[in-house]
Amino acid sequence: MLLNKRAERLFVWIFFPLALLMPMFLEQNEYYVNKLTTIMILSIFVMSLDYLVGKCGLITLGHAMFYGLGGYIFVMIAPEYEAVNFWIYTFYICAISATVAFVIGFLVLRTNGIYMIMITLAFAQMTFYYFSDSIDFGGTDGVFVYVKPETSIFGLSLFDLDNPTHFYYLCLFSLFNTLLFFKVLIRSRFGRLVDAIHENPGRTVALGYNIFIYRLVSYVVASALGAYAGYLFTLQYGFVNPSMLSWTTSGTALVMSILGGMGSIYGAILGTLVYEGLHYSLEHLTEHWLLFMGGLIILMVMVFKKGIAGFLEDLLEKRDGK
Amino acid sequence: MENNVILETEGLCKYWGGLKALDDLSLAFHDNQLHGIVGPNGAGKSTLLNMLCGHYKPTSGKILHRGESISSIKPYEFARRGIGRSFQKTNIYSNSTCLENCSVAVQRLMGGSFNFFRSRYSQKMLDEIATQALEKVGLGQRRDHIASQISYGEQRQLEIAMVLATSPEVLLLDEPMAGMGHEESQLIIDLLSRLKKEYCIVLVEHDMDAIFELSDQLTVMVDGQHLVTGSVDEVRDDPRVKEAYLGQGDEVY
Ligand SMILES: Nc1ncnc2c1ncn2[C@@H]1O[C@H](COP(=O)(O)OP(=O)(O)OP(=O)(O)O)[C@@H](O)[C@H]1O
Ligand SMILES: [Mg+2]
Repeated sequence: MLLNKRAERLFVWIFFPLALLMPMFLEQNEYYVNKLTTIMILSIFVMSLDYLVGKCGLITLGHAMFYGLGGYIFVMIAPEYEAVNFWIYTFYICAISATVAFVIGFLVLRTNGIYMIMITLAFAQMTFYYFSDSIDFGGTDGVFVYVKPETSIFGLSLFDLDNPTHFYYLCLFSLFNTLLFFKVLIRSRFGRLVDAIHENPGRTVALGYNIFIYRLVSYVVASALGAYAGYLFTLQYGFVNPSMLSWTTSGTALVMSILGGMGSIYGAILGTLVYEGLHYSLEHLTEHWLLFMGGLIILMVMVFKKGIAGFLEDLLEKRDGK
Repeated sequence: MENNVILETEGLCKYWGGLKALDDLSLAFHDNQLHGIVGPNGAGKSTLLNMLCGHYKPTSGKILHRGESISSIKPYEFARRGIGRSFQKTNIYSNSTCLENCSVAVQRLMGGSFNFFRSRYSQKMLDEIATQALEKVGLGQRRDHIASQISYGEQRQLEIAMVLATSPEVLLLDEPMAGMGHEESQLIIDLLSRLKKEYCIVLVEHDMDAIFELSDQLTVMVDGQHLVTGSVDEVRDDPRVKEAYLGQGDEVY
């Protein structure tokens, strides 16, 4: 079975049908559709990070670099006043960011633990300052995307990226596929090695595996997905700017992943939902929302030791036990 | 009967700073033989095994596998050459089932480790080979138990099963019987006396009865130095051995 925890099945069966119906309830309110779209995009980003940190044990503080690159690669390679094809550019962006991840992973993955955190952060900061200082890319203002890509496949245009509801469904579809992809990956033979390397790298070497290559592949895959999320974000808001690359973006994603339950993959959605939900409600209540938010997050991480996903799993298990 | 030399060391040394953990060791390990290694604590036995399996790099000297120097190959390449090892301190995937522990070992031979989509549970043959490895060490009934929940002795058995699952040619075993009860030890002794007919085994063990019973060749080490190598009887009667052991206050018999 692909979804092997009860809490996971329950969540997937509730979340996706609800998300599918949501735009019908919110038809009048574009604001909320956009808000939810952003949550879907962020969830993809957090999920790719959760895979790296929680599943592979590769702790990175530089994941935002790929999020930002997703957007910057798009404005770099797409002509400014001409609609390109969404699918083809999805492929380009994933391929280019995967190549970048391959080169950087080659250096980064030689280190471990705290050193890896530092060096991933260093690479991300370098990219951040490069784009912040670059005149070609609008410095701290970033770059606008004037024309959104068209989405035709074989001449058949299924939806329109300028329509918020259509875009919402594209992001939901992407999120679902990302979840499915990681679930299949984790159950696969490659996933067996991912688990083995995470749990006991030394033993895995002694069994004859070159663990570096497996880590590199994971890093490349997760980075490409992170870039895809950044690409979606850029398309949604019609611009890319250096804040996407900043270390706070990485840090926030890490908090969302921890909050959701590290390594649970679907927890990334939970973490993002709860974090963004809190953010939204507190922001409207008080000016000092950041302070309350920080306190609440600390409290939740302390109460839910294994994140929200872990908490739900324990809850359901206990109920079954009775 | 002359057996082929599989693994050899030539003037092998390992220094930890000023400490000579291993000093100028030249030994040959033969096919279808069990080579016992004994010595007091800190003699350098684990250090030797750690170098034979590529875990540590020698300070100087050479390791030869079938006549070819392998001192400079990557650690994971040792296992691919059929040099498998078990660890003195239990080293398993403790959150996984016993079967899964062995499956990781088997999968390297079956391939598909870069397959993202094929389920890890989809191949019967992989399961069967992994199960056979478990059965060989007497863990057949523990197949679906989580490794951290079986007894300590059983974990030691699992450790050996994992090595066997890699289909090795050389088995480097570091105190496989440490901390085992009498019955469990006997099981491992029986297992090793069967296995030594097919493999080249290097066994480090403190249990003297076991090592005397099993060894075809026996090496005694003291303080990183090689003392004697020979048949069990030769070694047992060697005055230097008696002195080394009695001098340390350890008992031989
Ligand atoms: N990683 C290390 N760093 C520094 N010194 C080490 C290291 N590993 C082993 N030593 C030292 O090398 C010497 C030999 O250790 P080794 O573990 O090989 O002994 P041993 O014969 O296996 O002993 P035991 O019977 O206790 O297992 C010891 O003095 C030990 O303290
Ligand atoms: Mg030892």
